[in-house]
Amino acid sequence: MSVIQIQQLTKHFRTRFTPEGRGKALRAFFRPQYRLVEAVKGISLEVDEGEVVAFLGPNGAGKSTTIKMLTGILQPTSGGSRVLGLDPSRQRQQLAWQIGSVFGQRSQLWYHLPPADSFRLLGAIYEVDKPVLARRTAELVERFGLGDFFDVAVRKLSLGQRIRCEIAASLLHAPRVLFLDEPTIGLDVVARREIRGLLQELNRNDKVTVFITSHDMGDIEKICKRAIIIHHGEVVVDESMKDLKHRALARKYVGVRYQSPVTFAIPGLPPIKHTDRSASFEVDTRQHTLQEVVNKLSALGELEDITIEDEPLENIIADIFASRNEQSARGVAVGLAGKALAAQTLAGGQS
Amino acid sequence: MNELNTIQPARRTGRLGAYLRFMGMAFAVNVKAVLEYRLNFLLQFFGMMLNNAAFAAFWAVLIARTGAVGGYGFNDVMFVWGFVSSAFGLAHIVFGNIRGLSRIVLEGSLDVYLLQPKDVWLNLLASRTIVSAWGDLAYGFIILALLPGHGPLHWLLFVALMVPAALIFVAVFAGAESLCFFMGNSSGISSAVSEFLLTFSLYPEGVHGAWFRWVLYTILPSGFVAFVPLRIFKALDWPLVPLLWGIAIGYLALSYCLFRVGLKRYESGNRMDARV
Repeated sequence: MSVIQIQQLTKHFRTRFTPEGRGKALRAFFRPQYRLVEAVKGISLEVDEGEVVAFLGPNGAGKSTTIKMLTGILQPTSGGSRVLGLDPSRQRQQLAWQIGSVFGQRSQLWYHLPPADSFRLLGAIYEVDKPVLARRTAELVERFGLGDFFDVAVRKLSLGQRIRCEIAASLLHAPRVLFLDEPTIGLDVVARREIRGLLQELNRNDKVTVFITSHDMGDIEKICKRAIIIHHGEVVVDESMKDLKHRALARKYVGVRYQSPVTFAIPGLPPIKHTDRSASFEVDTRQHTLQEVVNKLSALGELEDITIEDEPLENIIADIFASRNEQSARGVAVGLAGKALAAQTLAGGQS
Repeated sequence: MNELNTIQPARRTGRLGAYLRFMGMAFAVNVKAVLEYRLNFLLQFFGMMLNNAAFAAFWAVLIARTGAVGGYGFNDVMFVWGFVSSAFGLAHIVFGNIRGLSRIVLEGSLDVYLLQPKDVWLNLLASRTIVSAWGDLAYGFIILALLPGHGPLHWLLFVALMVPAALIFVAVFAGAESLCFFMGNSSGISSAVSEFLLTFSLYPEGVHGAWFRWVLYTILPSGFVAFVPLRIFKALDWPLVPLLWGIAIGYLALSYCLFRVGLKRYESGNRMDARV
């Protein structure tokens, strides 16, 4: 059963701009000029109940705008969507009973008060009866490990502790769909792993549908079964994580280390980086079989270690962004620079 | 975990009891947040009363030298100061965000309120309290206690008039702030409206020209937050109290509609922030 249905959803923003140059700012004051920004251009997709979907894209791709339309924060310019059978643009308040959301950069907790007080107020907002609220809070405190800081003012919590509280708070009313926009932004490795574990458990045990945007490929690989990639406001990829990774099966990364210094001079197989005793290679298995590569590398000297890995998901997605950038630029060579840029945008910030 | 899936049907939206519980809880949480910083609370509480008392002293000297001003004697001026102060204070205690609305909208911080199943206007306005407003609220009651010849009925009437006056403050301040949906940064006009409404309310009605009184009973309703309550209070004219309540509800309805129309133009944002 589809819990999220999106049909040709678009969102345009009209933004005022001031042209560069002498006197133009003054002229623009009297005759303002506007530019139309097409943040989302006709997205259509469906998400089934219990799915965990990664919604990916570089900064400005339209991810957050889409989530905001699905939660009723923003009104679409055209097209429509249904979440749990409700139209977010007209039934926002009814929908709010059944969805939870965490926006990594926005807090729903009171900064000067302990999470316990925010939970009590959220209980009143979601009209959770007192005994149910007490039981539910105790359950979330235990599951998310909030006990040690549940009565400490939010301003004194670490970012990881705060995000755990935010996610727990968003679940207080037992939502059926959870929207997460950059939930692990700014978290350290340990905190990220904890949050991922909690989200996996939540989906497994409670069948909560999770719609998540993140620039952290670790989040995506560990939690999600399906990836939707948008770029310039359009869906460019919508497939399972398995299929997404399959795209890159032809490419392997081979790392070698030798017991003594060697010269890396194999025709048609330059190392992507190397020292005098170690190197790594990007191998296109359609041109060189792995057996052939291993044989050639073995022939160079006494091997101490060799590793063969699939292409990291981060690179796969960066390639998709870069290829789209190339198409947009209509033949202007973006190449490696585009890939590097895409990888960079993938690593930080949000749309 | 799924037991609550059955408790949030759409019909619950708008239940008065649930709203009252929510308002009560928001108020309690806001008060607790304020009391987190005790010294700051005490400084602002007494500071605001001292500030108001300084103006009382100014008026005492003025009226002692010139006699009644604009038809107001010293007791009238003190009543108006105390009454307006309490109504202004009550508005900012219960609906502390009335003068922060445009900032919240422009920074995109309205998202948090839009994600919750409560009326966004009420939720937003009630989610904060202003510390110094407690001093304003107390000031009116202190003045009432100091002025001679007031019995329990006067106290009751004072409260019955103060609440609609506070609601008018809420309506005008929030309405002016809601202009940000239409004109972007409206802080200039909204702070001007706030200042004018307050200032014109604190001076005797008689000092304003006849044509200007139109303004004071429409756009800047000082008439309804100061002059009319004074007349009702002095004459103990209870039948007029519901009329004042009706006018307050009218102003609130207009302000609410302005906000709802503007909300359709909301564009959100991606600023990093916390709820304080």
